[in-house]
Amino acid sequence: MNSLTLSKLVAAKNWRMGALLIVFAGAALNAPAAFSQTTPTATKTSAKPAKKAASATDPAASATPVKTFGNKTAPITMEVFSDYQCPSCGSFFEQTLKPLLGPDGYVAAGKVYLVHRDFPLPMHAYSHQAARWANAAAKIGKFQDIDAALFDNQAGWSADGNIEKYVAAALSPTEFKRVQKLMVGCEPTSTTCPLDAYIVSDQELGKSVPVQATPTFVIFYKGQKYPASSGIVTYPILKQFFDSLLSQ
Amino acid sequence: MTSEARGSLGRILLIIGRLALAGIFLFAAYAKLKPQAAMGWSGTSIKVSLSMFAMQVDSYQLLPPQLVSPAAHFLPLFELFLGLWLLSGILLRYAALTTTLLLGAFFAMMVRTYRMGLEINCGCFGPGERLGVGTLLRDGSLLAFAIAVTIGAFVIRRRMQRNKAEPATASSAVSSSPQHAG
Repeated sequence: MNSLTLSKLVAAKNWRMGALLIVFAGAALNAPAAFSQTTPTATKTSAKPAKKAASATDPAASATPVKTFGNKTAPITMEVFSDYQCPSCGSFFEQTLKPLLGPDGYVAAGKVYLVHRDFPLPMHAYSHQAARWANAAAKIGKFQDIDAALFDNQAGWSADGNIEKYVAAALSPTEFKRVQKLMVGCEPTSTTCPLDAYIVSDQELGKSVPVQATPTFVIFYKGQKYPASSGIVTYPILKQFFDSLLSQ
Repeated sequence: MTSEARGSLGRILLIIGRLALAGIFLFAAYAKLKPQAAMGWSGTSIKVSLSMFAMQVDSYQLLPPQLVSPAAHFLPLFELFLGLWLLSGILLRYAALTTTLLLGAFFAMMVRTYRMGLEINCGCFGPGERLGVGTLLRDGSLLAFAIAVTIGAFVIRRRMQRNKAEPATASSAVSSSPQHAG
């Protein structure tokens, strides 16, 4: 009687153990696929679409600042909420956005449309002023240069608040004069800077995400919004996510 | 309370504990694998979800890029396996020990990230949840719970083995006594 109960128990345990082994085997079989995805898939793409887009989105005549990169019709849109003085945002720009915006990146390939959103945090003394400079430059179509200059020299101007020096270095004298004109009434202590409206508008958008930290990015594909991600994500991993979206 | 009643209460608590842990792990796996946008379940949707989870793993800045994706693909499936293992009750003490070790590793990783001041998503139960004091308290409590279940599983197993051994010793003593008498 006892041995019969035991054999029944063993049979039942074997059945359950078998089910567990099947699940684990499935997980193990999936592992090679995971490893294969770590290798960035080489995509033969031309840089032409982005160049076209850059010329098409020349905002020189536009009154509103253009803080975008690439072709608006790209299948993926990535909105980045960033603070110019936040160290993580600086790292994210250098490690991830630079390769994304580079000649071999997905923006140049016409796959990604990148939108910059200002989200200066009150804890950073000069980030709001830096965002004003970026918006002024965006009004004359020089956002990309100033965006890069601000992140590249983050440590420099974060120490003393002298943002103007780096903006001047990144622009031609004529362009800098135009930007300076747009910055009239935007002294660090000013509360009536006309450029603040653009920053506030971005912050309002950020609150609806909701942005809880910077950098935060939201990705849209085929009209679908994917959950926001925060922190530094390296370019190979971000690219892998884009590839998974594009393979749908 | 008699030792027998204490034993059955312990067993009941252990069943509840392991089922709760199983549910948590099955939900964690589901949250990571489920379609992240308004799309149905498919191989592609799982691939997208796992790539999204890889971004969360990457944001911890712990693993080199070449290990991020394998880890992100392995973890949700391992959580699924662990959930089913706990649910089955087979070799419970080892299942509970594995769960404790995994939760301990998660908790250590979260504390390190929090101390580094990285403001990232936890990724514990899918995307969108910020790592903070709340998530640390929750995962710390889960770890404590898993430790309790593990200790309970080992204690009950030892008690069961002792109970099995005692009647055998008693019966052998009974069968050997006539010989001594004789």
